[in-house]
Amino acid sequence: MDALYGYGIYILTLASMGGIYAILVLGLNIQWGFTGLFNAGVAGFIAVGAYTQALLTTPVSARHIGGIELPIPLAMVLAMIISAIVAYFIARICVRLRSDYLAIATIGIAEILRLIFKNELWATNGPRGVSQIPKAFESLPQPWNIVAFLIMVLAIVAVIYVLMERARLSPWGRVMTAIRENEQASAAAGKDVERFRVESFVIGAALMGLGGALLAQYLKQIDPQVSDPLTATFLVWVMLIAGGSANNKGAILGAFLLWTVWSATQILSGFLPNEIVVFGFEIGNLQVRSAYVRIFLIGLILQFILQQRPEGLLPEQRPAPVGMGKPQGERA
Amino acid sequence: MKKLLTAVAASALMTAPALADDIKIGSVAGITGPIAELVAPIMDGRALAAEHINGAGGLLDGSQMVMVPADSQCDPKAGVDAGNKVVNVDQVVAIIGASCSGATNGMVQSVTIPAGIPSISDSATAPSISDLDDKGLVFRTAPSDAYQGAALAQYAYDQGFRSLAMTYANDDYNAGIATVFAQVFEQIGGMITANQVHEPNKASYRAEVATMAGGGEADGLALFAYYGGSGITIIKNSLETGSFGKFVGADGMFDQSVIDQIGADTLRGNIWLTQSASDPDSASYKSFAEAYAATGNDPQAPYAAHGYDATFMMAMAIEKAGSSDSAAIAKALMEINDPSGVEIGVGQWAEAKAAIAEGKAVNYTGATGSVDFDANGDVPGFYGVNTVSADGTWETTLLK
Repeated sequence: MDALYGYGIYILTLASMGGIYAILVLGLNIQWGFTGLFNAGVAGFIAVGAYTQALLTTPVSARHIGGIELPIPLAMVLAMIISAIVAYFIARICVRLRSDYLAIATIGIAEILRLIFKNELWATNGPRGVSQIPKAFESLPQPWNIVAFLIMVLAIVAVIYVLMERARLSPWGRVMTAIRENEQASAAAGKDVERFRVESFVIGAALMGLGGALLAQYLKQIDPQVSDPLTATFLVWVMLIAGGSANNKGAILGAFLLWTVWSATQILSGFLPNEIVVFGFEIGNLQVRSAYVRIFLIGLILQFILQQRPEGLLPEQRPAPVGMGKPQGERA
Repeated sequence: MKKLLTAVAASALMTAPALADDIKIGSVAGITGPIAELVAPIMDGRALAAEHINGAGGLLDGSQMVMVPADSQCDPKAGVDAGNKVVNVDQVVAIIGASCSGATNGMVQSVTIPAGIPSISDSATAPSISDLDDKGLVFRTAPSDAYQGAALAQYAYDQGFRSLAMTYANDDYNAGIATVFAQVFEQIGGMITANQVHEPNKASYRAEVATMAGGGEADGLALFAYYGGSGITIIKNSLETGSFGKFVGADGMFDQSVIDQIGADTLRGNIWLTQSASDPDSASYKSFAEAYAATGNDPQAPYAAHGYDATFMMAMAIEKAGSSDSAAIAKALMEINDPSGVEIGVGQWAEAKAAIAEGKAVNYTGATGSVDFDANGDVPGFYGVNTVSADGTWETTLLK
């Protein structure tokens, strides 16, 4: 294989994963960026979407339920719908909680969902997970299967972005921002705060379900690790905060940027010598040890951005108020 | 910043031609993540094999075998990412790994099978890997759990156990063995009186033990757990409550700390642990144990010998294929265990190279046994049974 071709393929796979994360981050952006709902259970909705996709499309297996072999696009739609239904019931119970209490409740719910997927052996094959998940376009020859999958992911990101931008500028989006900034005032203005918060939570969760469905296809194998808090909830939050909360472009930028850092740092580790001597101490096995540095790097980037650019790389831009001259001040 | 980028790009361009003679093998493992401490000795096993090969003439016309490490974090997401990196960026011709079954399953299905890269896993034990439509590209030197669970069930039955309560830690490894164990034990006429899953890392398992004891009279407890996670605590709780006095288990429980914490006298004659083992009398294992111990490691470390064998076999396949072409390597992997061929053991790279150069058939016998791949790319595996010896250490006898 030609080296440039290899790098090309790698960038395509990097972008596919970045695109999947972009969908997840856009989902969180509706909940946190627009409406101020502190959802710390992103992983739970990813898992619902991923397992829905996996169990509805895999062929018959003695290890788990399913065997319906639905077409992939239909399963993706169902993954969104089921994720939205789960979110609706959760929202009805929890959404009135103030942000920090909502965070605690959603962490708990994500953990409950993870334990269900892990323990209901008859349905999900427990910790062994579901394998051989069909992937869109996988029958095409290499590299066209990778290209086609990437185009599909990017097209979905583009569609969601356009819809989100329209939502943000619409009266609906303005109500969301109003609720985030001052709940009582919005209620006093006659807005049904709880209904809007439920809507925001459900739409965000549906997007997370869609991201989970794409993730299941991309990996072709999922297990309860798919809802691992570090690479699901935590990473998605870092992407949103780093990119710019309440800014859709920022959310997408954050997703691609952070995933590139996460994945591409392992390329740099290849250039490390395997042993160095520092102040007379011999430090061996550097290429293996550098794996730990990646996790540290993500934390460092978050620290740096929070210190230097608390509003993210692309800060929120409020739409101009209707009927008034100059835009309001930036969000504190 | 611009300078830095230029420097990085330049070094990339400079290193590429200099390494043109090397043959790169991806070495994917869960370097970080839940089994990090198990992976370090496995990586050393792989490195030892590469050292033996490079020290005795290298591959083909003297090319060095270069192991390119990548971290699969024991997670499918990271496994796929690591696979994409070594296959596309480093352009490896073959892969050793990934460690955990989930990561391996993801990596081979979404990266290496479509790209036509052969892989040998040294520690993925999930039976589902055998079912994959792998186009003859996925191999492993770690035996499927299906084999260990069955071996233990048969052994327990032969020891006179007719009814056993069973509990297992809820992770992919222990759950996998437990499922097969229960199935086989009942098939051959035993009875499972209670089947209780538990979450690891709890302070006490008295509730679980009481539930299992309530399942009916049992000759003992079949315990599938990691010793540090829950295994030792469950044995303690069972003895304290007088619920169970005899234990059978698998290699997750194999550690000196089990004896140290419970007491050798209490456990002697009351515990049997199977372990994916090597025949300690075989010449191949002896030379592995000696060379590996010299690196400061314990040769009994789980799957370290499997890591050695996986790497050595990949090298033999490259030599046999006569090229670094991935498809030819995959095909050659099925040809290095010809029973009529020249016997090759651990560390005998010069001999292997000479035999292949003369066009003779070869038969590799590794540190873990005969490692003959079947049609699924699996090996049957060998098991030892550990019991507590007179001086309070584990004593292994090989199961024949």
